[in-house]
Amino acid sequence: MTLRIKKNRLLLYAGLLACIIVLPFVVRDPYFIGMVNFIIIYSILCLGLNLILGYTGLLSLGHAAFYGIGAYATAILMTKHGFSFLPSLIVSGLLALFFGFLLGLPTRKVRGDYFCLLTIAFGEIFRLVTQAWISFTGGAMGIVGIPIPEVLGWKIQTEIDFYFLGLSLLGFTYGTLHLLTESKFGRAFVAIREDELAASVMGINTPMYKILTFSIGSLYAGIAGSYLAVYQTTVTPSNFRLEESCLMIIMVIVGGMGNLAATFLGVSVMAVAIEFFRPVPEYRLLIIGLIMILVLLFRPQGLLGAAAFKD
Amino acid sequence: MFIDVLIVGIMVGAIYTLVTIGYSMVYGMLKLMNFAHGDVYIFGTLLCYTLLAQAHLPPLLGILIAALAGGILASMVEFFAYRRLRAAQHRMISMITALGAAYVIQNASELKWGSQVLPFPSLFPSQLVTVLGHQISVTPIITLAIAVFFIVAFNLFLNHHKMGKAILCVSQDIPTSSLMGIPINRIISMVYFLGGMMGVVGGILYSASYNAISLGMGFRGTIVAFTAAVIGGIGSMSGTLIGGMILGISENLISVYVSSSYRDSIMFLVLIVILLIKPTGIMGKVEQDKL
Repeated sequence: MTLRIKKNRLLLYAGLLACIIVLPFVVRDPYFIGMVNFIIIYSILCLGLNLILGYTGLLSLGHAAFYGIGAYATAILMTKHGFSFLPSLIVSGLLALFFGFLLGLPTRKVRGDYFCLLTIAFGEIFRLVTQAWISFTGGAMGIVGIPIPEVLGWKIQTEIDFYFLGLSLLGFTYGTLHLLTESKFGRAFVAIREDELAASVMGINTPMYKILTFSIGSLYAGIAGSYLAVYQTTVTPSNFRLEESCLMIIMVIVGGMGNLAATFLGVSVMAVAIEFFRPVPEYRLLIIGLIMILVLLFRPQGLLGAAAFKD
Repeated sequence: MFIDVLIVGIMVGAIYTLVTIGYSMVYGMLKLMNFAHGDVYIFGTLLCYTLLAQAHLPPLLGILIAALAGGILASMVEFFAYRRLRAAQHRMISMITALGAAYVIQNASELKWGSQVLPFPSLFPSQLVTVLGHQISVTPIITLAIAVFFIVAFNLFLNHHKMGKAILCVSQDIPTSSLMGIPINRIISMVYFLGGMMGVVGGILYSASYNAISLGMGFRGTIVAFTAAVIGGIGSMSGTLIGGMILGISENLISVYVSSSYRDSIMFLVLIVILLIKPTGIMGKVEQDKL
C-alpha cells in the first residue's frame, strides 16, 4: 500500500517536472515567461525567508538587503572585476550568508520586535549606503550594463534561457531546504518554533540554531539577488526597499509559514494579484497594504500554514 | 556657529519628543509597534499644508483641524487594523497589519498630494534676536516653546487628570484595569487619538521651521519615533525627552560637521548600537519573559 502511494507520488512529481520543462515551449509569450521568472525569483527569496520566519519565528524585515547584497556583489564583480557568472553567484551567496550571520548574532540578546527593528535598520542602512556611496555602487542610478552570463558554455540571453537558469537555482534552493528541514536540524527548528523554552531544556542549542537559520535564509536571498542582477542587467537601490521585504513577508504568510511547498502558492497568488492591478500602479501600495491587513485579520496562518504566530 | 547648530538641534529634539510621545505611549501600553504613526502625522501635516497654503485658513484654525484629523485617523487605524487582533496569539500579527495600514495611508496621501517636496508656509516671523551676544532666529525659540508647552501639558494631563491616570493604569496592566472598571477600548482609542494629534503638531512645527513637507518624511518619522523611544526607554516620559533630544542634536551636528547624505544611515547605526548594548534604553526597565 505504502509502496503504491510512493509510486503515485513519484509519478506526480515526474509529471510536474515534465510540465515545468515543457511550459516555456508551449506558452511562448515572453510576457508570460517574464512573469514566471518574477515568480521564480520571489520563490527563491521567500523559501529562504520561510525558513527564517516559519521555522524559527524570527520576523525579518531586512530580507531585501540580503537580496541587494547578492545583486550588488554580482553586478560589481561582473562589471568591474571581469568575473564570470558562476563565481559571482557563489561569492554573492557567501557574502549574503556572512552578513546574515553577522545580523543573526544579536538574536542571542535582542528579542522579538527589537530584532525586527534591527533588521529594518540594517535594510535601510544598506539602501542609504548604496544611494550615497556613488563611487562604489553608482548611487541612485545603480550599476548598468551587467554582461550576459555564461554557464559552462551556455549563453543565457533569452527569457527562456533565464527561465531554465532560474529553475535550476530554484530546484537547488528547494532541494537543499527540503533536505535541511527533514533532517535533525529541521526537527530542531520546529521544536524551537513550537516552544523555545522546552526546546532549550531538551538540550537544543537554540541560539546557535537561530543564527544558523538566519544565515542560511540570507544565503538564498543572495543567490536570488545574483540572478536578478544578470536578469535585469541593472541594479538600483530602489529594487531593495523596505516595501520589497514586506512583500516577501506577506507572500510567505499568504502561503503559510513553516510549509516550504506552500511558499509557491503564496508567491503565485501575490504575483497574480500584483499583475492584475498593474494597470493602476498608483494603487500598488494600497493594495499590498490591504491584503496584509485582510489576510492577517481573517486567516493569520495563511492558506496552507503549518503554524500561526503564537507567544 | 556651534551655538546655532545646537539651538536648532534642541528645537528638532523637542519636536521629535512631541512626535515620539504618542508612539511610546502606545508601545508601553500594548507592546505594539505602530508603523502607521509616521504616516498618520504626515497625513495631518499635509492636510494642514492644504488648509493653510491653498484654503488660506487662519493658522490656528488650520492646525487645530489638521491635528483633530490626525487624531481621528489614528483612532480609526486602531479600530480597523489592531483592535480585533489585540487578543490574537502573537504581537507580530498586529505589527504586520500596522505596516499594512501604513502603506494604505501612505498610498492614499500620495494620490492626493504626490510624493514631491511641497513648500510649507512659515508660521512665525523671521526676526533675529540677540541672546548672550549671539544673533539667533526667533523661529527655533518659538517652536521650542510650543513643543515644551505640549510636552509639559501632556505630562500634567497624564499625572493629574482622571483620564490620564486611567491611561497610566492601562499601560501597567490591562486585565486588572479592566476589572477596576476602566473602559479599556475607550482609553486605548484615546491614547491613539492624543498620540496622533501630538504627532501632527510636531510634524507641523517641523515642516514650518524647514518650510518643506514631503510624503517621504512619514516612514522616516516612524523610525525616528521608534529610535527616540528605544534610546530613552520605551513607555517612559522622561526617557522620551532624553531620546528625542539626543537624536535631534546629534542629527544636526552630523549634518553640519560630517555629511547630510549619511545622516539617516548614522541614525540607524545609533539605533543598532543601542539595541545591541542596552535594548531597554536609558530610562527603561528590564522586562522578564513570562513563562
